[in-house]
Amino acid sequence: MFARRGHRLEVVLLLAVVTGLAFLVPPPVRSQFAAKGVVDLDGKAVNPFRVATGKVVVFLFVRTDCPISNRYAPRIQEMSSRYGKGAEFFLVYPVRAETAEQIRSHLKEYGYRLAALRDPDGTLVRASDTRVTPEAAVFAPDGRLLYHGRIDDWYTEFGRSRPAPTTHELSSAIEAAIAQKPVAVSAQAAVGCFLPDRP
Amino acid sequence: MSRGRSLLPISMTALLAIALSLAARDGSDRPTNNRATNSGQVTFNREIAPIIFHNCAPCHHPGEAGPFPLLRYEDAAKFARQIAYVTERHIMPPWLPAPNSLKFQGEMRLSDEEIRLFRLWADEGAPRGDAKELPPRPSFGSGWQLGKPDLILRARKPYVLAAGGTDNYWNFVFPTQEKSTRWVKAIEIHPGEKRVVHHANILVDRLHSSRAREKNPGDGFPGMELRIESEAFDPDSHFFFWKPGSVPHAEPPGMALRLDPDDDLVLNTHLQPSGKPETIEPSLGLYFTDEPATQFPMLLELENDLALDIPPGTAHFAVSDEFAITADLDLLAIYPHAHYLGKELRAAAALPDGTSKTLIFIPRWDLNWQAVFYYVEPVFLPKGTVVSMQYVYDNSEANPANPFHPPQRIKAGNRTTDEMAHLWLQVLPRGTPQQQEEARRMLQESLSRHDIARNPADFAAQYNLAAMLQARGEVSEALLHYGAPVRLQPEDAIANNALGGALLSTGHPGEALQPLQSAAQSQPDYFPAHYNLGNAFASLGRFPEAIREFGTAAHLAPSDSMAEANWGAALAETGELSAAREHLKKALELDPKNVLALENLQEVERRLSAAEKQ
Repeated sequence: MFARRGHRLEVVLLLAVVTGLAFLVPPPVRSQFAAKGVVDLDGKAVNPFRVATGKVVVFLFVRTDCPISNRYAPRIQEMSSRYGKGAEFFLVYPVRAETAEQIRSHLKEYGYRLAALRDPDGTLVRASDTRVTPEAAVFAPDGRLLYHGRIDDWYTEFGRSRPAPTTHELSSAIEAAIAQKPVAVSAQAAVGCFLPDRP
Repeated sequence: MSRGRSLLPISMTALLAIALSLAARDGSDRPTNNRATNSGQVTFNREIAPIIFHNCAPCHHPGEAGPFPLLRYEDAAKFARQIAYVTERHIMPPWLPAPNSLKFQGEMRLSDEEIRLFRLWADEGAPRGDAKELPPRPSFGSGWQLGKPDLILRARKPYVLAAGGTDNYWNFVFPTQEKSTRWVKAIEIHPGEKRVVHHANILVDRLHSSRAREKNPGDGFPGMELRIESEAFDPDSHFFFWKPGSVPHAEPPGMALRLDPDDDLVLNTHLQPSGKPETIEPSLGLYFTDEPATQFPMLLELENDLALDIPPGTAHFAVSDEFAITADLDLLAIYPHAHYLGKELRAAAALPDGTSKTLIFIPRWDLNWQAVFYYVEPVFLPKGTVVSMQYVYDNSEANPANPFHPPQRIKAGNRTTDEMAHLWLQVLPRGTPQQQEEARRMLQESLSRHDIARNPADFAAQYNLAAMLQARGEVSEALLHYGAPVRLQPEDAIANNALGGALLSTGHPGEALQPLQSAAQSQPDYFPAHYNLGNAFASLGRFPEAIREFGTAAHLAPSDSMAEANWGAALAETGELSAAREHLKKALELDPKNVLALENLQEVERRLSAAEKQ
């Protein structure tokens, strides 16, 4: 009897993975979500966790036409350099309508020098529980979602920003993740452009 | 000239649409029109597009301030939930004043019905609707909205705004270089990259006080608040202001701005970094009229910077000011101004009949959307009306715009991190031109007295009051008042010279010496001080010193005929007749009509020939 219940549990887990809920249920299986629909700017399928090879994985969700995520460009670029040793950064463009060409010129315009992914099916968006741009997600090398939400508290509302942020949730999460310490805050709502209702 | 934004027709349609769609949902059997029976849904083509085309697209189209276009269904549909969110919270359209019985030009406000339609549309999944119902998409000209300008001034050097960092305030100096005096009825401001410019404001600089702040001519210079010197009785009481979505304002007939040859225009811009380097290259389009000004508005400035000393952590710090107006006048426009701690700004008028009017109420101040607000109809304020301002500041951690974290004690000042409590009212006195002029003088004087009463240490108010009295011929009264600015700023050359000049003209040359010498000492190249000193010494019979001072004055202003004439006269007094003759001749070369020089020259020639005969 006991053994059979254990067996059933595994079946449930497997189902969860298939429906994309892998990260709500530990232990996670990372190979499943990454592949589906996630492509680089040449249209080639990418598994960010394979690219990262044992590093912490950071996704930064942006779009080309969001003034808030655009204002963050220098900060995002700076953070990716600062934590480049321990973490692999990916810019994620979740808006299906944004073409590789638009994204390339956006990267150039805003001085980005990091890998950009397209997520037209919203696989990374769902795995990271992302609502707006800019929003970040930090994953452990084994695929556990450690933090998702705002980069910092620079913006408090649309059109309302502080002169400078006073809290730094994303940096703290990345530093903890690299040091393999518990992440103090696992989620913090972000202010930004809503992801399109019709991507 | 202003493009009025009447919201009424749209609100009516919106109301109707809601009523109809509700009726359809209720299954009501009341008669409805075909559209609503066919579909109870709110659609882009029928309800949403008219609202967006009228209220959003003027800024949300390429080349304008809106960060993304809102012209097509696809543009709007991908932002449907966000549009509902920002309109429900009145974040968009950006318009600071609360609804009031006094209306402003170009009010950007959605009706409750329109806001509800956005929500319904988003909740229903942003349906497109019937193509036949889509109104024509608005087209926006890309050039000058007021037509081809008579003069276009372009920034001499673009300013490159860094990709990141805090808000930035940059000033561009535009020399005008017209050959003769012009009358300006409008200035259209093209602030450059509109997505990063939050506001742009023109100041007229007749004395080139801004040029000195540029490292090299044309460079521009940083700074949020500008101090521009002006000739005391010629204040420039015109607003030329740009903010996102604003329509260029043309002054009413007869209210043109005088532009003299060589006047500078200074464009003060508030820039917000966008994430990439931006090149800001503003240009100004000037529109002239042949009609010289016959109406002269003036600016009444209420302020209470002295009261601004806000302890850290204070969430509600109130300051106020009030001023009783001394003439019948019309209020044309209003410009409330605070920095980042401003929370709630209000201005009101208490009329002599006991009634009162809210002139403006901004329940949630946001420096990013500050503006000059023009009334649709001028607001008549009879003599005796008390205009007032009540501002509230938030220096707590809860104010996200607070420049300091943790909060610090904040006082008034010109830096962005300082605070300000200012309210400008553009007013036009009523009556004949003569009555208007008298009214302006009285208002200026009572404003100075009002400022002095609140803050006796207000140097500018003290000086201006004395100067006004002197200009009016009340020299002994002026003399009483000149002491104050000199006591406040003992080093100030202008104040010292004015005091000395007043003493001189009331027959006290001995007492005039000390302030005049201070003036010459603190600003050795200040011509009036040396000239007046020369006169004071001459009056005292101390001619060698007079000769020295007139010599310095003539050296500082080589084209001044009077300095040469007085120099010559002083030399003549000491018997230096041939030297005197040279300077008197020079004075006449500079100004053949210089009677003093002519008479003195004749006397000198007479004595010289008499001496030869002896």
